[in-house]
Amino acid sequence: MSGKEFFLHRYEKLGWKPSDIKLKQAIRINPTNAPNLEETVERLQSRGIKLEKISFLEKGYWVSKAKLSAGATTEYLLGMYSIQEAAAQIPVSLFTDLEGKVVLDACAAPGGKTVQLADLMHNSGVIIALDVEKSKLIALANHLERCHVKNTVVYQMDARHVAELGIKFGRILLDVPCSGNFAADSSWFARRSLKDIEANAALQREILAKAAVSLRDDGEIVYATCSLEPEENEMNVDWAVRNLRLQVEEIECYGEKGLTEIFGQKLHRSVENCRRIWPGQTQGFFVCKFRKRDEP
Amino acid sequence: MKTIADFARQFDAKLMLRRDLVVKKNNRYFLVDEKLKPFVSNNFYFAGTYLGKVKKNKFFPSFELLRMIAEKGKANKITINDRTEWLFICGRDVFGKSIVKVEGSAKKGAHTLVMNRYSDCLGFGKILREPSREVAGVAVKNVSDIGDFLRRERKNS
Ligand SMILES: C[S@@+](CC[C@H](N)C(=O)[O-])C[C@H]1O[C@@H](n2cnc3c(N)ncnc32)[C@H](O)[C@@H]1O
Repeated sequence: MSGKEFFLHRYEKLGWKPSDIKLKQAIRINPTNAPNLEETVERLQSRGIKLEKISFLEKGYWVSKAKLSAGATTEYLLGMYSIQEAAAQIPVSLFTDLEGKVVLDACAAPGGKTVQLADLMHNSGVIIALDVEKSKLIALANHLERCHVKNTVVYQMDARHVAELGIKFGRILLDVPCSGNFAADSSWFARRSLKDIEANAALQREILAKAAVSLRDDGEIVYATCSLEPEENEMNVDWAVRNLRLQVEEIECYGEKGLTEIFGQKLHRSVENCRRIWPGQTQGFFVCKFRKRDEP
Repeated sequence: MKTIADFARQFDAKLMLRRDLVVKKNNRYFLVDEKLKPFVSNNFYFAGTYLGKVKKNKFFPSFELLRMIAEKGKANKITINDRTEWLFICGRDVFGKSIVKVEGSAKKGAHTLVMNRYSDCLGFGKILREPSREVAGVAVKNVSDIGDFLRRERKNS
């Protein structure tokens, strides 16, 4: 069960048909290193990088015209902004009261969201950033250094072993490994099958279950994927609500309500509190915010 | 610790870091704060502020350490003009005519931070001859610049 037709047919059954997909490059200004937003925008405009505010993000801008690569300016090298896909800027923005908290970034490399967390925390508190792949830690460390992040400790670790750290976290970001989506990857249809989507979904459930154990009772988890596949999104959230001490929080952000009926299967009604973003100007994305449920 | 203080001294700057808050991983140094320290166990990969690394007995500073030195009022600094900024970031040396301001000592052989007009630290260099607009030829030899992040990204991809 694979191939373009197979997947497009699935999306159609979920109520979506691809049209007008034109991904736009986006940046996020890091206020810690660029406290004066307007001045930073002007500095970039004067170099020939024209920016347009993204209506649904606080610090996000579309790169509408660029005479040079947005990744090769003095301001980029000084950590004044990061190149970060627009939808990927949403998950971290869903946390409340990050300042001073002990935060887990369970699947952190190459660190776009770790930097965003540090920014919103004003470098206070602590971020524990994990990634299982040693080779990806170099990019993560470079990112942290470039953006002058000061409150993060990085470990090479499988997120499923997080309990070994013996820490209870106030906020947990699960930007889990996923199957990705075709809008951001031209060979996607040729590479993906339902079998590996199911394998990813199983790994995501394991990560979610272990993270839930390391969450403080008053904590928050944000779960995100850049997959369009319901097995990795709504169906995993439904599983979490039924099997873990978690409940889905209402969120206000860009995107459509999570689907509560998938190929004839009815899901827990709170799953509609999630947000699903079909590709358009942004790539495909899915976000969900959990809180611990009170003990019965 | 001494390594870092000695490095700062080359810019005529005094940098006092609390010994108990500097942690070392292999040849790399990091500065943590009291809140972070309990979370740093032996097998960490990166912690707090990266300060730099020692390779073959030579210290290679991080750009955050250069920024910390730059914030010490008295460190040697030169400010270069806009046209030279990107050339320096691409690894080029600084010509006397590109320097718009000199602060601190400008003795031959000393180290100096290289700043742009916004007072952002772009890297550092070694003074070859008295840096001033009047001096023809290279005044400051590029030792390290923030273009290194791009070079690392290319190497890593
Ligand atoms: C979607 S990417 C994360 C992107 C990152 N959060 C950012 O914003 O830059 C998923 C990451 O999870 C890592 N990963 C895969 N399996 C993992 C596991 N079991 N534990 C921790 N990290 C894992 C991958 O190496 C990959 O870097």
